[in-house]
Amino acid sequence: MKKLSYIALLFVVVLFNGCDTNDDTFYKTIYVEGGNNIVTFPSTTTYNVGDYFYVNADLSRYIPEPGETNLLDIYKTTGNAPTFVFSYVIERKINATDWEVVTVNDNQLDINEGSAQNGAYVYAICQYDAVDEYYRYNVGFPLLTAGNYRVTFGYNSSSTNSVELISQNSSRNLIVNLNAALSNLDGNGYFYFNVN
Amino acid sequence: MKKLLCLFLLLSVAAQAQESSPLDNKKNEFRVDVLSAIVWQKASLSYERFFSGNFSTGFNVNFSDSKQLNDDFDDGYRNNVPKFEFNPYVRYKLSKSFKSYYFAEVFASYNGGDFKEIIRLTDENGNGYYTTEKSKYNDFGLGGGLGYKMYIKNSLALEFLAGFGSNLFNREKSPDVISRVGFNIGYRF
Repeated sequence: MKKLSYIALLFVVVLFNGCDTNDDTFYKTIYVEGGNNIVTFPSTTTYNVGDYFYVNADLSRYIPEPGETNLLDIYKTTGNAPTFVFSYVIERKINATDWEVVTVNDNQLDINEGSAQNGAYVYAICQYDAVDEYYRYNVGFPLLTAGNYRVTFGYNSSSTNSVELISQNSSRNLIVNLNAALSNLDGNGYFYFNVN
Repeated sequence: MKKLLCLFLLLSVAAQAQESSPLDNKKNEFRVDVLSAIVWQKASLSYERFFSGNFSTGFNVNFSDSKQLNDDFDDGYRNNVPKFEFNPYVRYKLSKSFKSYYFAEVFASYNGGDFKEIIRLTDENGNGYYTTEKSKYNDFGLGGGLGYKMYIKNSLALEFLAGFGSNLFNREKSPDVISRVGFNIGYRF
């Protein structure tokens, strides 16, 4: 009976070992350190109720890649991905220590370029413009209540002072994960502003 | 030296002292792996040749064309997909009974399949881009396993096997781990 147990145990171990195929991670993602200021926002720290907080993204199809002498064509790499996405969170201070995520309806967003979906975070969608060969996003978030606000780009990211832009393309094509540094964030990855 | 001689004599006597069985005269066995066929869509056939003592030897051949593995490979969730294996093995019977017994085996594996890697190229305009490139891999590995076998009417064999090993020479492309897991049904003659 003991032998049978050992064999059963070995059987299970081997079944799980059979899953090992060098596939510790996906073999379809290209990680690129992008330049600064692909994603930007105003450094203004004072707004009025009714103003919008705009976030902008200008991502060229051809980007410099550290360690390479020529530009990287991210549009071709991704099999002509129509969009790149990133996310950010806008919060308002509700007492001395706590912040709450500010949400609005999607139709309250001021969408100039690209598109956005608002929920627990703003899901920013940079749309490819075939004429100037840029992925672009420019969306204003309405500031409807007075108070202290902050914005962070680290919601779906492992980094606090940069933002990850990820291509959205068909499953058979490579994914580009672009890490772009952001200006004006503090050491914890926040930018603070007030709404009067 | 004396100790070695005594051990050799003891082993010889032990081998001769084993009970005789109708299976003694059936030295060959063919098997098909039902588990691999159902779970991994893998055709797995085995042959085993029995010797008079506790040892036997044989080989196993596998051919795989699993849709799930191929889809995972194409979708980038794995960078290799095994297509074939040739596994010669040697087994040692651990139990006294001939009708049902545990065994240990060591096996070698010559295996191969498809491999995919991401490469950076330069297009006609001088811009870089990444793409995937497929190639074939082959490797050789060694491993071991344990199993249990039983016979019905001295001919129909049922066998559980669990073992694993490691590829040795081309692990950048081939799977690090090779496994031999199966539930085999066979015929001994």
